[in-house]
Amino acid sequence: MENLRTLSSLAMGTIMVCTGAVAAEVGERISFVSCPIIRDTRTVPCWTSEYEDTTYYLTIQSDVTTPVPTPFLGHKVLVEGVVSDKPQICGGVVIDDIMLTALPEIDANCNTMLPADDRYEIDFNPRPPGPSGGRLAFNTAPSEPPPPPEGPQTIDMYFDFDRGITFRHPRNLTGVMRTAEQIGATRMEVIGFRGAHRLSDGSLLQESESTGQRRAKEVAELLHGAGLDLETTISWTDSVDEADGIYDWQSRRVRVLLTP
Amino acid sequence: MTELKTYLLKRHHGLLVSAVVIGSTLTIYSENASSEWWTPGEDTPIAPYIEYANEYGTVGVLNTEGTVITDGHPFFEDLGENGRGCVTCHQPADGMSLSLSSIQERWEETGGMDPLFAAVDGMDCPNLPAGEADSHSLLLKRGLIRINLPWPPVDQAGNTIDPEFSIEVVRDPTGCNNDPVYGLEGERQEISVYRRPRLAGNLRYVASSSFGVGPFIGKTGELAGIDPETGRPVNMNMMADARVFTLKMQAQSAATSHLEILGGLSAEQLQQIKDFEQQLYVAQAFSFGAGRLVEEGGPSGLGPQAMAAGRDGLLGNNITNYVFPMENKWADLPDGGTEDEAARNAFRESVQRGHDNFFFRTFFIKDAQHINTVGMGNPIKRTCATCHGMHMTGMDAANGWMDLGTTNHPWALEPAESPWAEEMPEMPLFRVTCRSDLPPHPFLGREIYTQDPGRALISGKCQDVGAIVMQQMRGLSARAPYFSNGSAANLRELVDFYDRRFNIRYTEQEKIDLINFLSVL
Repeated sequence: MENLRTLSSLAMGTIMVCTGAVAAEVGERISFVSCPIIRDTRTVPCWTSEYEDTTYYLTIQSDVTTPVPTPFLGHKVLVEGVVSDKPQICGGVVIDDIMLTALPEIDANCNTMLPADDRYEIDFNPRPPGPSGGRLAFNTAPSEPPPPPEGPQTIDMYFDFDRGITFRHPRNLTGVMRTAEQIGATRMEVIGFRGAHRLSDGSLLQESESTGQRRAKEVAELLHGAGLDLETTISWTDSVDEADGIYDWQSRRVRVLLTP
Repeated sequence: MTELKTYLLKRHHGLLVSAVVIGSTLTIYSENASSEWWTPGEDTPIAPYIEYANEYGTVGVLNTEGTVITDGHPFFEDLGENGRGCVTCHQPADGMSLSLSSIQERWEETGGMDPLFAAVDGMDCPNLPAGEADSHSLLLKRGLIRINLPWPPVDQAGNTIDPEFSIEVVRDPTGCNNDPVYGLEGERQEISVYRRPRLAGNLRYVASSSFGVGPFIGKTGELAGIDPETGRPVNMNMMADARVFTLKMQAQSAATSHLEILGGLSAEQLQQIKDFEQQLYVAQAFSFGAGRLVEEGGPSGLGPQAMAAGRDGLLGNNITNYVFPMENKWADLPDGGTEDEAARNAFRESVQRGHDNFFFRTFFIKDAQHINTVGMGNPIKRTCATCHGMHMTGMDAANGWMDLGTTNHPWALEPAESPWAEEMPEMPLFRVTCRSDLPPHPFLGREIYTQDPGRALISGKCQDVGAIVMQQMRGLSARAPYFSNGSAANLRELVDFYDRRFNIRYTEQEKIDLINFLSVL
């Protein structure tokens, strides 16, 4: 998330255009589902979305290291975060602490591509829309390696809505394997969770019933397949009553408990 | 006065094939065109460096370990039941692949008796009438070899995979997928798809595990393939569907299937093939338009010698490495002292523009599975080099299967069906129905029509339907047609496909520049 805050603060220099719409109150936590909109610029495209007559800025195109999943046209996007009073970007109200995920079902209505407009300029893109300068957009490696873990460890892996393992997870999975080796793990417990979201309109958006089970089995199978040969317990839960609209994206997860 | 130079292009079967260059125009004089065909078991040593003529100039084949003695070499010998060797489908003159023109010439010269046309996969289906061109229609028209795969799929350990989708045959022009023996519901429970032979050169790059290889596949998080010899994860970029993924595994798979070697190859033979393939480099060496591609002071990324010198496992989609380094050498050339020099320099400038277009010209890449799904969003505004990003080959990064639409509807090329159409669809068509309890394919939904499900026939995953491992971009001039299903007959059709698929709206000059650029790779 720190990377996103950096992006937002870097955006201070961008040209601001108010839409005239009334946004939710600054500091208010919002959660909504809407179609994403992509707008071209002279540099990289930016993504916005409209909710209750307000246009929100979501993110810009960067590369595979982006800390927040970039939306898909053809799919609605689930948006979570806190309304900010930072200068608007691409004509949209900035959302701090933002998390996005594309909903899995195809929605042909979500197909708006807007042309570049001189009013909107992205001058804080960490990666141009073509070849890079030789490094990825976000430096995801820690500046100093953390001290080796000791004792039991808990590792959480987060997922896109209704989805299982994707390109985001190799780093998580190799992290589990490395940690298991470092602590000399003998047991592993894999717990899958079915996520749920309390939206700003009060409704509850739940993942499919079998999602927690599917995730737990998939993670355990992958770790075993990669050679992590531990006594393993797999479980899952379909409980969704904790959704309160605050960091609900973290409910879409698998928790791995490693015991020496 | 016109300068006239004669180049010795190759020595093969004791025949000299020479080229006469008049100004910038090169004419190939071959005493016997069929001499370019390499027959298994002919035992002619293959020289350290040979050039072969093609439509755009010559392709160079470089053996960095020197002369290869082919007598007894398993790549060049006929070791199986059907008379084929590896070289049958990986011909040096075709840049170690197999061009449609060579296939058609071979058919004419042998009356269809060459082992290339063996029933096992040189026919549309093995039980069709022998010796009839119609029985080999996809090989003769599109350069396609039949690939028969088990359905449902089987994993590396031999376990049957429970697929995420069902598959039905919608159209079966070859008759094989509805066949009572070879069909999907037949005795053997196989599915037949039809694919081009891939380039068996520059494989040091293709098989490199120096970039993006780990226990989990970078694009999907699934388990990476494991080299049975080392126990280590490997790059899975060798075959169209990544069903096997080391040089030895590929050789053994081809030996038992395409070559019908009943007991397979020995460990020693597999090592010989691996050693040969890892020192073999292929690239266009001479261009009718641009002249010599390997010359002092020229672009460092062209020609087979550059392939031999280059670094594998290096990402090139950046301005530090580049995919195909040209150092802007051909960006602004003098008009030249003669008309021929001026024409050459103009062509070279076109190649440079084509390169710059490939590398820098942005467009929106949309609905391409395994590129739009790796965090950048759908669509992404990027360039050709985003996908074709690996240094020197233009392949994708590790585990580079991707769906560009070459085999999936609505983008796969087929003749329009109408009461007035004379041309009929040649490729099979399958309907894939993804399970309702799992997320759909993000861009194609739960019902997908495809000529070839690609990687999904191996993984059993809905998201992989139509995903094909990207090929390297070298030696293109020697090995038309293009794409795994041979749907682009030439470089123009290849560029046109991308233009249409991604609504790029290239100008005519941009297309010419891109074709010229591709022709010198």
